[in-house]
Formats: sequence, structure tokens, C-alpha cells
Amino acid sequence: MGDFLSNLTLGFGVALTPLNLGLAFLGCLVGTLIGVLPGVGPIATIAMLLPITFGLDPTGALIMLAGIYYGAQYGGSTTAILVNIPGEATSVVTALDGHQMARQGRAGVALGIAAIGSFFAGTVATLVIAALGAPLTRLALIFGPAEYFSLMVMGLVFAVVLARGSILKAIAMILVGVLLSTVGTDLETGEERMTFGLQFLVDGIDFAVLAMGIFGIAEILRNLDHTEHRDVVRQSIGRLLPNRDDFKQSYKPVLRGTFIGAVLGILPGNGAVLGPFASYTLEKKLARDPRRFGRGAIEGVAGPESANNAGAQTSFIPLLTLGIPPNAVMALMVGAMTIHGIVPGPQVMTRNPDLFWGMIASMWVGNLMLLVINLPMIGMWVRLLKVPYHLMFPAILMFCCIGIYSINSLPTDVMFIGLFGFVGYMLIKFGFEPAPMLLGFVLGKLMEENLRRALIISRGSMETFIDRPVSAGLLAVALILLVLALLPTVRKGRDEVFTE
Amino acid sequence: MSISHDRPEASGRQGPVRAPQSLAGGIFLIALAALALWLTRDLSRGTLSAMGPGMLPDWLAIGVGLCGLALVVLSFLKEGEVLERWSLRGPLLVIAGILAFAVTIRPFSLGGLSIPGLGLVVAGPLAIIIGGFASPDARLRELVVLSLSLTPFCMFLFGDLLNLPIPIFPQAFADLFPAGWSQKDVLRATAAALIAAAVVVYFAGGRRRATNEIDVADQGGRL
Repeated sequence: MGDFLSNLTLGFGVALTPLNLGLAFLGCLVGTLIGVLPGVGPIATIAMLLPITFGLDPTGALIMLAGIYYGAQYGGSTTAILVNIPGEATSVVTALDGHQMARQGRAGVALGIAAIGSFFAGTVATLVIAALGAPLTRLALIFGPAEYFSLMVMGLVFAVVLARGSILKAIAMILVGVLLSTVGTDLETGEERMTFGLQFLVDGIDFAVLAMGIFGIAEILRNLDHTEHRDVVRQSIGRLLPNRDDFKQSYKPVLRGTFIGAVLGILPGNGAVLGPFASYTLEKKLARDPRRFGRGAIEGVAGPESANNAGAQTSFIPLLTLGIPPNAVMALMVGAMTIHGIVPGPQVMTRNPDLFWGMIASMWVGNLMLLVINLPMIGMWVRLLKVPYHLMFPAILMFCCIGIYSINSLPTDVMFIGLFGFVGYMLIKFGFEPAPMLLGFVLGKLMEENLRRALIISRGSMETFIDRPVSAGLLAVALILLVLALLPTVRKGRDEVFTE
Repeated sequence: MSISHDRPEASGRQGPVRAPQSLAGGIFLIALAALALWLTRDLSRGTLSAMGPGMLPDWLAIGVGLCGLALVVLSFLKEGEVLERWSLRGPLLVIAGILAFAVTIRPFSLGGLSIPGLGLVVAGPLAIIIGGFASPDARLRELVVLSLSLTPFCMFLFGDLLNLPIPIFPQAFADLFPAGWSQKDVLRATAAALIAAAVVVYFAGGRRRATNEIDVADQGGRL
């Protein structure tokens, strides 16, 4: 406990310096902006802004990038409630009841409870990270290559189970992602693999380029086929603060949502996206009158929004303690850390305690700022929604080009975002989800390294993965999950959760 | 959550293919696997205790190919989604915009063709205007105003404030200014001129009647 407090004190000492406060604010502001605007996601934005962080110290850079990520979760709900379009993927659920509340003239209350629930969830999640950080880091130190490999296999299986649509397609995407990660020089023999003899592929495919192509450009191409003409004229928002009855109805969903989101967020394999869906389903099951859901039930906003924010924050845990990014945003964080010479993993906490605890403390500070950014300034964000998409996407296009060019000063990188963008567009058209592919790509290199190391240690015996208890346990969990997901009854339930 | 995908109607489709989307996806995966296997044909596989560089890519390619094969087989057995409408305009113009940016941002030569480095001041507007026409709602004047205001913003942000090593304008352009001017002075003067031009173009064409209906991207819950 003493450790816990002194660590948090250290963290707040770092987070409350004027520079870091400013960067956290900037991150939250940009995050809210892209969260509000449909069609711009945190992955493309963080990839665009990576070059900006070159000049900052690593702590400040990560504080800002983290702010963008959880800020986007707040902003996404604004669009969901006011225009019935999810500003971010995770706010799909909020649109169901949030927009109905807005149509009943209770937009302000919906926004208010979303922000307050998110703030509560963010606070709890910050404490969870601070409490779990140290023990998990100690756990990571006893992990050998075999355990790391099995853990990543489990993470990828999670990603398959959590992906929407066909399981077969999700598995294929993971394999394609890992396959893409093997492009480039083989680390052990120095031989070039699948480079077509091209110079810029020798170091492998740059993650930022792939991410921006798949999530920046492909998303633009897809959105161009799916633009709608809508009336986004501002309705009156009404009072922002929920009254006593609203609080009474929503405090339990907030608590449950926070718990679900925090637990799912820790899971490797992007569990955080499932949080809002799970919370909504649970609230509907528990409600005395489930018919109210979809017609403006405040619980349907409070629960999922809390789950969403809690999950977004606890998904930092696998990255900070084990060095394994659980989703694409965290993979970009790895990129940002590597640029500054920090190797993500258990050693971050011992070698860079100010970075580790500073970032955690900044999350709480950032959540407080978001409350201010979102509630009193809501009018400003609503006005932004009036920017039509046909003017927004050329701007995104130019920012993508500038951002990716600035990372390596290579025009070929710019061309490659075009190529990957087109490939991503084709994948979307063929019904594949690009997210698992990106995760496979991120974990691919680490997996290959650990697989080879484990097999060298065991002299080529595959049994090493089953003989070691921790590794065997992780693989068993992965297998059980996969089998469960393939069972017809569970599959039906899974589809229901996603199509709710 | 696939709001945007229409449920396929069970009737009204001909032929043995029941899930065209899966068939196309499967063929794509098989082609990808074949490409990977062909590319790694010369790499040594090694043994399990000393894996060669080719072993893992081969396994993965075989896995991808098997998934593709399964998708193809399933597409004849199970009802599934139809292929969505493809548009050529979007991808073509967006990629053309990206390519235009890539070849003009700094000196570029390919075969007999060589383009001098024109910098952000040309590359940015090219990307916006060419890419912008990917949308059927595009209007030239709006895009010109957008590019004339965003380009100076980016010049100022990336070139002046953040000092990123991104070429801003061609060297020949900087030589036009008096010798005493530094790069940053030229940058600021150019940015100011562009903004002035943006204002002029904005007011020159007369204002359009404002409507409340605008086009917005419907993400349908994608990340």
C-alpha cells in the first residue's frame, strides 16, 4: 500500500508539470475532435501524429498519444447521441438509446451521464492499472520464450473470437497479418524474405504505413461508398446534469459497466471493444422492463459508456507490463516508445518509473480534463459535425500523406499507404475485418522470435509448449475459447451480441 | 455489426455459387498464399531445432491457402453475402492524389521521367484537389479554398513550429526572394499569401445558399 501511494505520488509529480499538463490537454482535445468526427479514428490519427512527438521527451509523447486514444472514446459518444452515427466504433451501442434520449429532448442528460460514467470508469481503471502494474510485471519476469509465445497465441485466439462475422475469415486475417510481418530480413540468418529485391522492404513493412493504409486510406475509400445525406441541424441539448432519478437509475449500470470493461480491457486480443456490447446485453437482461431498451433507457447509455472507457484504459496493462500490445492503438504506442529508445515490457517500470507512473497519473488528469472539454464545450463540438465528409476526407488524405512522409522522409512510404489502402478496401469488400490482421502483424515478429528461441532451447521439441505449466495453461485457455466460439449455440449468442 | 450490408435474398440468384463474397475472398487468399510460397521457394526451411528463414512463412502461407480453400468450398455449400457494389472513382482518384503527393514532395525520377522537388506547397493542394474529386459531392471551388487554407496551416505547423524535415517549396522559388530572407521568412510570407488567396477565392464566387443536409460518413461500427 505504501508502495502504491508513493508510486502514485511520483506519477502525479510527473503528470502535473506544466509541459505534461499541456500535452495531456492537447492529446485530449485532439482525441475529442477525432472522436466527434465520424470517419477519423484514433489509429490513423496517432499514426499521423507520430512525427510530431519526435521532438518531445518520451513521457510527454506517450502522455499526449494516450490522451488521443481515451479522448476519442469520450468524443465518440457525442456523435452517437446527437446524430445517431457512432463517432468511434466502440460507441455503436451508445447510439441505440442515446439517440432516442436526444429525440425525447434529453440529449444533455445522455451526454452528461456518458461523461460522468466515463469519468468514474476512468478513475477506477487508473487505480486498477496502478494496482496491477507491479504484480503483473513480476509475473512477466518469470515468463520464458515458450510462455510468451503461448500468451500471444492466446491473444490472437481472443482476437478471432471477438472479431465480427465469420471465424474462418478472422483466422485467415490473423495468418495474413503474421505472414506480412515475416517480410524483410530474417533476424537470425540475415537472409531477405519476400522483399521482391526492393530496398525499402529489407527492413520489413513499416507498421505505421500498414496501419495508415488499412485504417486511414481504406476507411476513406469505404466511407466514400457509404456516405449518407443527413440533417445534422442542432437540436436543443437541454440540461446537462442528470437529476436524482437519473443517477439512481444509472449508478449500478455504471459500476457493472466499469467492472466488465476493465476486465475485458486487460485481455490481450482487443477485448476492450467487446465491453460496451457485453455491458448493454447485461443491462438489458437485468432490467425489470427490457422493452425500454432501444427507446431511450438511460442504463443503455451509462453502462456501455463506462465499459468503453474502462476498457480503453486497462488495455494499457498488457503493453506496460508484458510488452505485448493488445490492439492496434497500443501497437502504435510501441512504435512511439521504440522511436525514443524504450523497449516496452516489464523493464519499463523499473528502468523508467517516471514514464510508467507519469503516464498512469496523466490518465486520471486527462479524464478530469475531458469532463471539462466535453460538457461545457459541447456546443463547439456539435458545430464541427456540420463539416461535410466531402471536405473532410481530402484534409485527412493530406494529413496522412504528410504524417507518413515525415516519419522516414521516404516518398515510397506515401505510395505504400495508397497500395495498402486499396488492399484494405478489397478486404473490406470481401467481408474481412482488417483489425485482426493488424494485430497479427504486430505480434508476428515477437511470436516468431519467441517460437524460434523456445525451440532452440528445447532442441526442436514442440512438447516444450505443453510441458511448461504456464504455457500449457495459456494454450488450453486458447483452445477452449476457440472450441466454445465454434459451438453452434455459443456462436448464435455471439452473433446476437454483435447485431444487437 | 453490419448495418450497411444488405441481407442477401435467398431467391433471385442463379448458378451454383451461393456466397459470392466468400468465393472472391477465398480466391484472393489462395492467390496470396501462392505468391508467398513462390517468393520463399529458395529459402531454407531448416529443422525444428534450428528453424530456417523459410519455415514460418511457408507454414503461414499454407495456412492462409487452406483458409482460402475452405472459403471457396463453403461458398458453394452455404448461403452468404453477395459482393457489394464496387466503385472505381473513389479508389482511382484517392490513389492518384496520394501518388501525386509522393512524386512531387521531393525530386523524383522513374525511367526517363523526372520531376523536380516541388515541396508541400504543390504536393498538398494536388493531393487535396485530385483526391477530393473522389466524392461525387466535390466542387472545384470548395476544394481550392480548402487546399489554399490547409496548406499554409500545415506549412506553419510542420515546417515552422515543429521543424520537421519536410520540403516546403522548390529551391528555385526561395531564390526569388531577397537574399537576406531566411527559409522561415519565405515560408511565412508564402503562407500569408496563400491564406489571402483562399479568402479571395472564397468570396469571389458568391456564397451558396446554406442547407442543413450534409453528407456524413456512416461508419457502421467499424474501427
